[in-house]
Amino acid sequence: MIPTAFEYHAPKTLEEALRLVERHGDEAKLLAGGHSLLPLMKLRLAAPRFVIDLGRLRGMSYIREENGRIVIGALTTHAEVEASALLRSKCPLLPETAAEIGDIQVRNRGTLGGSLAHADPAADYPAAILALEAEIVVASTSGTRTIAAHDFFVDMLTTQLRPGEILTQVCFPPLGPRTGTAYCKLHQPASGFAIVGVAARVTAQGSGKIEAVAVGLTGVGPKAYRAEAVEKALHGKKATPKLLADAARHAAQHVDPLSDLHASAEYRREMAAVFTRRALERALARAQGKKA
Amino acid sequence: MKVSGSYLFPAPPEQVWALLNDPKRLAKCLPGCERLEPDGPDRYKAIIKFALAAISGQYSGSVELSEKKPPRSLRLRLEGKGTPGFVKGEGKLELAEKHGQTELRYTGEAQVGGMVAGIGQRMIEGAARKLIQQFFESAAAQLHTSPDEEKAKR
Repeated sequence: MIPTAFEYHAPKTLEEALRLVERHGDEAKLLAGGHSLLPLMKLRLAAPRFVIDLGRLRGMSYIREENGRIVIGALTTHAEVEASALLRSKCPLLPETAAEIGDIQVRNRGTLGGSLAHADPAADYPAAILALEAEIVVASTSGTRTIAAHDFFVDMLTTQLRPGEILTQVCFPPLGPRTGTAYCKLHQPASGFAIVGVAARVTAQGSGKIEAVAVGLTGVGPKAYRAEAVEKALHGKKATPKLLADAARHAAQHVDPLSDLHASAEYRREMAAVFTRRALERALARAQGKKA
Repeated sequence: MKVSGSYLFPAPPEQVWALLNDPKRLAKCLPGCERLEPDGPDRYKAIIKFALAAISGQYSGSVELSEKKPPRSLRLRLEGKGTPGFVKGEGKLELAEKHGQTELRYTGEAQVGGMVAGIGQRMIEGAARKLIQQFFESAAAQLHTSPDEEKAKR
């Protein structure tokens, strides 16, 4: 339960942190909230030579509106996302998702940027980030670049982040009119991780015609993904319970679900459909101003 | 845990077969393989450094080929032990010709135990798939580059 020896750095500015990751490359791990990295290190499943603690960086924890977009600093904790009045009114999907992560201790320490960069196949945020079509801003000593959520998740624990880069910010537009969102999750009871987690965003006309829809899934396969087949089956159609249920059947299309002690591949596939239907129903009801 | 799947190699079965039976080239395809040394007929000792993002560990173990029917099928047995736990696996590889290319089909079963199984249970299958994919991709790259390299050496 004691990690192998490592060299500890606690930079005070982002520039200093970037120079450190550039120098140490693959041998360094970034420490944000520590709720993914530290357990791995204590079990010696991870043994980085250098640990770069981002906890002392100022000004990386914020939630605000800038030029009509919502921007969130990478070191913002799940608890801060959950409690944010701005997000609750302009993007309730994120607080709803944050509230489903782990337990209070995890939510008080874990960060949005840390969760996204770690890319655990069962983490909750990736589903929501995909459904929001968010953009992820990363910095390196040579500048910043922006990655669309859709391109960000590459494989299990693997993202578009390159060695030497630090995830600094997530941004997305506020919820438009006649739009509802929902996050529905099947918890693994011991760990709290998602066996299946589905984030849905639906824009519907008064008549029930679906104008826009985005569905992000986590926990099913090695990485979070957009359920494009579900979206296609709904786009431009008039929403009925049957349409939503039929569309949700495509939730794990073109995905080879994982199987483990907690859920077989078949079960995950089935639950992907069930929770996608629930998320769509709830998001649609909210888009139409109904309570859900 | 059961694993199965297939991969299409851009070369005839004879070439794929030769690669699978050449420890030097095979070592280059096994992800993280630091050493692969003969240890009796169709048996090799291996040291593999496994790394997947934050998770890493070193395994030492053996690779054994049996029931060889060149160039059609063989059985592969793997055993490894390391700081994070142990891995044992056995599977069958079958090669079939498809328009001058080779379709390799594999089915097998693996057991993972120790610490890595305790904490990493959710991730084992995903990791296995990723490593198998990496293996096939570098094997395909080996097939592609080896003739030129061989020529260059001569």
